[in-house]
Amino acid sequence: MVADKENVATASSAVEGEATSKKAAKKQAKEALKAAKKAESKAANMAANGEEAGDAVDVSAGRYGSTGLIQSKEKFEERKFVSVNELSQPEYRDQVVWVRGRVHTSRAKGKQCFLVLRQQSSTVQCILAVNERVSKQMVKFSGNVSKESIIDVQAKVVTVPNKIESCTEQTIELCIEQLFVVSLAKPQLPLQIEDASRPENADDPEGLNIRVNQDTRLDNRILDLRTPANQAIFRLEAGVCRLFRDILTAKGFTEIHTPKIISAASEGGANVFTVSYFKESAYLAQSPQLYKQMAIAADFDKVYTVGAVFRAEDSNTHRHLTEFVGLDLEMAFKYHYHEVLHTIADTFTGIFKGLRDNYSREIEAVNQQFKAEPFKFLEPPLILEFAEGVKMLREAGIETGDEEDLSTPNEKLLGRLVKAKYDTDFYVLDKFPLAIRPFYTMPDPNNPIYSNSYDMFMRGEEIISGAQRIHDPDFLVERAKHHGIDITKIAAYIESFRFGCPPHAGGGIGMERVVMLYLGLDNIRKTSMFPRDPKRLTP
Amino acid sequence: MYELNTLLPEYDIKLPTCMYPMKVLNNSRATVDVKADASNSSNDVDGVSARQEKVLKQLQELKEQMANIRASLGLCQKGAQHTVQTSLRNGGLREEPLHDIVINGHPNFIPYALLALKNAWKDLFTIDVKIFKHSTVPDIGKEASEFEKKLAQVKVDPSKPKVNVSLIWKNCEHTEMISSPTMYVPIYGEVNIIRYLGRVGPEAYRYENSPNCNEIDAVLDICYQLLRCNTSKSRAAMLRALNLRLGKQKYFGGDEISVADIGVHSSLKRLPAITPKDLTPTLTEWRKRVQLVTQL
Repeated sequence: MVADKENVATASSAVEGEATSKKAAKKQAKEALKAAKKAESKAANMAANGEEAGDAVDVSAGRYGSTGLIQSKEKFEERKFVSVNELSQPEYRDQVVWVRGRVHTSRAKGKQCFLVLRQQSSTVQCILAVNERVSKQMVKFSGNVSKESIIDVQAKVVTVPNKIESCTEQTIELCIEQLFVVSLAKPQLPLQIEDASRPENADDPEGLNIRVNQDTRLDNRILDLRTPANQAIFRLEAGVCRLFRDILTAKGFTEIHTPKIISAASEGGANVFTVSYFKESAYLAQSPQLYKQMAIAADFDKVYTVGAVFRAEDSNTHRHLTEFVGLDLEMAFKYHYHEVLHTIADTFTGIFKGLRDNYSREIEAVNQQFKAEPFKFLEPPLILEFAEGVKMLREAGIETGDEEDLSTPNEKLLGRLVKAKYDTDFYVLDKFPLAIRPFYTMPDPNNPIYSNSYDMFMRGEEIISGAQRIHDPDFLVERAKHHGIDITKIAAYIESFRFGCPPHAGGGIGMERVVMLYLGLDNIRKTSMFPRDPKRLTP
Repeated sequence: MYELNTLLPEYDIKLPTCMYPMKVLNNSRATVDVKADASNSSNDVDGVSARQEKVLKQLQELKEQMANIRASLGLCQKGAQHTVQTSLRNGGLREEPLHDIVINGHPNFIPYALLALKNAWKDLFTIDVKIFKHSTVPDIGKEASEFEKKLAQVKVDPSKPKVNVSLIWKNCEHTEMISSPTMYVPIYGEVNIIRYLGRVGPEAYRYENSPNCNEIDAVLDICYQLLRCNTSKSRAAMLRALNLRLGKQKYFGGDEISVADIGVHSSLKRLPAITPKDLTPTLTEWRKRVQLVTQL
């Protein structure tokens, strides 16, 4: 009996709950509509009268609230917006300005409210205190705006006597006069921007040790990307691309675009993605190699291409992605492939110089969170021969063969040795052994062991591998046979040299890897905005 | 000494016919022994010298044999020649030659000694200088580019013994030299680099065995101090000291030019604060003489 009664009771209450929740939802919707209307009318009022005396209860009514959904109704052309990083300029001192930014942190304390407003990497402190024009309600409202919401404020720029250490704009603060919420963020964030942007110094025992792990960051990438370091990384990455284009264009290169859906795997059959292509299957391009060379054979002389490259390598390391941006170039030369080698090496030096001179703010911002030694390089770039590198390794007590490829540890060690001797993070290793290079590499004319090929290294890691390609079809067939490659599979490649082709050389780099190594970061996922690896396909 | 009794009774060992007798490998030595035994009573010295002769000859033969083997294998003949050469050049000193070294210099403190040595050694020895600019110095200035040009004017002669130098313009406090990355022991100061290069350079400039060794070292030390002087007063004192050292000699430490002259000359060049007026007549005369060699 007792149990029955209880059952009935719960059932009835459930029904009641449902009813109330329905009612509540309706009520809420109505209220929301009202609020929106009110806000709209307030905004309209304020715009019309400029300043409103307000009723006796709330002296600052109409000077705060929500803007409502901005549907491009008003223009508010009289509002002059200033970006946060310009606020400290003397022309804005004691001026009233408009600023749009995100609420980075907010702290309401009785009659005062401190907000930190963030705009990309710049932050500024704002203060709101109860006075004759600011009501208690307004302070309360401001304190309750959730973090990461976008707000518009009208405020007076005031210089402060003591530096504000927690903000990037340290000499000024904003005294808020009006505050409107443009877009509200959920009160519960999956990660705190503050945690995500905390510097990584392991040897500081006193500092807060809350970290956001890599997967959480990547799952909530849009929040993670708001940190100053990430803002800087991707601006710098854009810089790398821009410099690559500008420098090569100035050198007389032409940008080309190569197909990404191809019928046959360009470099060996393994690690290509297969996609269905109507009734057949096709592959995703692993490198624009073949098309670059065809452009050379088609008399484009000097070409480069920037585009996605796909590798179906199932390796979950810190430096492999399945999709990345490839910066590739190919160039016809007159007599010696060093013409190309110097062009590529100079391009790198140009990129490094451009980054050093124009992106020092970004580099600084990344360094705040991820400490790394500044990138050092020489001009003109240091070029060592493979044999010299092997000699240096042997002097250091490493046993390695003349025709042996550099193993990863040896590669790193050689990087350290070169750094110790020449103090450079970038160098070129020329004349690799023929045996460890692809079949289309031109052999060295003087020594059959070596070839006209080169690698370039940043912080001891290989970033570009290139060579003079064989441009003579018969010799190419001979080399391919020597390597035991099925000639029928590369017939199209060989055919493209049948109609005359100038001697040429080139190479390709991964943009993400270059940025990672330039900044001394430990994971390539940090330099890819939405990284793709064997375990991640979203976001 | 006592004689030992033979432990085993004397058997007649019959050799099986299936075995070959082995050739005595060092038959020559055996004969020498016999000879030595024979001449033991008459003359020991003769015997020993004869033996030495024999050993030397054997060594020579062995060397030739090795060379033949090497030639037939087509292996690094260069390596062998190299060691012979260095041991000759260094007067038996077992010293690895400096293949290539790195010198880091600030564009405001130009290591003029490098140019001075290059010019002075023109006919004897080649210093192949490659110049780089480190990322810490965006601009090297006019004087340094002038210096680069002058360095490039001196031709590299492949027939002469040579040392490769990588000069890196860098934002560093001292002029420093690094010879090996594995033992990172930089050598600081221009005069010390001069001393180091003096050892690998041509015979005439190697001063360690010369009677003027101490004098040259003292002069180089004065240069080191001179470069660190901040006031004109202290500089004048150093110049007086140099004047005293020079005395009536043609060059510092005698009639022959030495690394000391190179050191003083390049140091004076690096200090624009020292005008010709500050120099004594003897120093001025000397400077003219050295200028002919160093062409700074």
